[in-house]
Amino acid sequence: MASVISNPVGNMNSDRIKRKKKRKSLIKESQQNQSQNWKSEAQQQIYSSKLIQALSQVSLNSPSPSAPRGGRAVREAADRVLAVAAKGRTRWSRAILTSRIKLKFRKRKRARASPAVTAALVTGSNRAKKSRVSILRLKSKSLPAVQRKVKVLGGLVPGCRKQPLPVILEEATDYIAALEMQVRAMSALAELLSGGSAGSSSSAPPPSS
Amino acid sequence: MERIDGTGARSVQKTPEEEATALESIQFTDEIHRLISAPSDNASSFTALLEMPPTQAVELLHSPESANLISNDTFKPPHMEDFKGRLHFPTNIALVERAARFSVFAGEGSNNTNIEKNSVETALNDSSANLKKAVKSEPAETESSQPLVSDPTVETKSAKRKEREKKAKGSAKKSKTAANESSDDAEKLPYVHVRARRGQATDSHSLAERARREKINARMKLLQELVPGCSKISGTALVLDEIINHVQSLQRQVEFLSMRLAAVNPRIDFSFDSILTAEGASLMDSNFPSIVTPLMWPEAQVSGNRQPYQQQWHFDTLQQQVWGREEVCHNYITPENSLLSYDSSANSATLHPNQLKMEL
Repeated sequence: MASVISNPVGNMNSDRIKRKKKRKSLIKESQQNQSQNWKSEAQQQIYSSKLIQALSQVSLNSPSPSAPRGGRAVREAADRVLAVAAKGRTRWSRAILTSRIKLKFRKRKRARASPAVTAALVTGSNRAKKSRVSILRLKSKSLPAVQRKVKVLGGLVPGCRKQPLPVILEEATDYIAALEMQVRAMSALAELLSGGSAGSSSSAPPPSS
Repeated sequence: MERIDGTGARSVQKTPEEEATALESIQFTDEIHRLISAPSDNASSFTALLEMPPTQAVELLHSPESANLISNDTFKPPHMEDFKGRLHFPTNIALVERAARFSVFAGEGSNNTNIEKNSVETALNDSSANLKKAVKSEPAETESSQPLVSDPTVETKSAKRKEREKKAKGSAKKSKTAANESSDDAEKLPYVHVRARRGQATDSHSLAERARREKINARMKLLQELVPGCSKISGTALVLDEIINHVQSLQRQVEFLSMRLAAVNPRIDFSFDSILTAEGASLMDSNFPSIVTPLMWPEAQVSGNRQPYQQQWHFDTLQQQVWGREEVCHNYITPENSLLSYDSSANSATLHPNQLKMEL
């Protein structure tokens, strides 16, 4: 009986060991590759270059197809470039990249539905959101303070509104690092773009003349 | 066979699990050897905890072990002799099997890190640490491989083993949480100090909750390190407050910077191709030397000044094509300033109407 059990067990055992070792090595590799280094200089350079390319494509004076204008368009372009730099490994990056498509989808839906209904829906949802916020401030309404804050954090990180807490925390970790990189890159870019012109307006006369 | 009241339901699953356990135990033979050398007081307490008569414990040991031993000859002699005298080893196996019932995959990785930090107690900690090192990569698997049929049984064993070991280790530090369970433990077991973990093991809900909490705490720790000034704060709510503030401030900064870039953008002519091909050479050679020097930026526009430009931008890895684009971009940032001093009116004329073209 034991031998009958042991033979298939032995075969399975070796296979399992091999599979496990393979999986262990794979998982170790994947764990090493998982979180990108948002602090590295290379990552910032990649982001900056892609941002410049994207900004050059932003139409500032005639945004006919899309709604955002001016600063909003730049902000959304910068966020999209950040999501691209994240290579879609994280939820927030995928949510950013798909948000535009979803917005267009919603717009088409609203166009089909009656404008009065949609207006009421939009205002209703906005008002409900505000009332929810004010209610949340009253302690009596939602006692678990931590859960309240988790919901707020979920609302801040794109694509994490309905996610459970550990997911939100993980996404927030990556999102904060990415945001810091974005701020660094954009401030450097803004300095270079505007610092030159600011310097020229108040600078000395040209040396070679 | 009847083991413990709580494990009645699990006894049905025992036989297939036995083989799986046997498979598992083959991998941990080194740790098992070390377990054998663990102090015997733990052993006796473990069997007492299990509320199993020693004979049953030995039986437990022998049934998985026999399959094990037959398949692997080298381990045969040490196991049989060592285990007969010591009861802690079978209890470990039994514990593993029992722990398998309460498989909680998530958070094993965090459990591992926590466990290793909290190792304080007995020699059992060493053995369990060894076990954990062996199964360190397992938690990642366990988290991701839940739907698989063959793997969960194997992984639950290791996961449960870690859970069990972790509880044994963390008892000193987690006395507060243990206090809640110790009341339950006191009813079941005479030993309270370490057995708080054992009490947890019998309750699948608390096990799962503990694993979940460990996972969440590990992630909160990472976040705290990331957000400045959070490591001093204790308490989840306040830390979350800080995190939310930080994210909001970062998003506001991005907003301001994007407004700033948008203000700068209209002055940039992005019709690179047309202007570059038509007048690029003339622009670079004739006009810019007179305008270049006052500007930090156009310093790099002239081909001779590419080095400082590169350093400013840190774009060492960029290709030439992108370089060209940026150069032209920088060239056209100066139109407002340069228009005043431009000699060629043709350039200024072309710059204005072309401001909003998107060629790229």
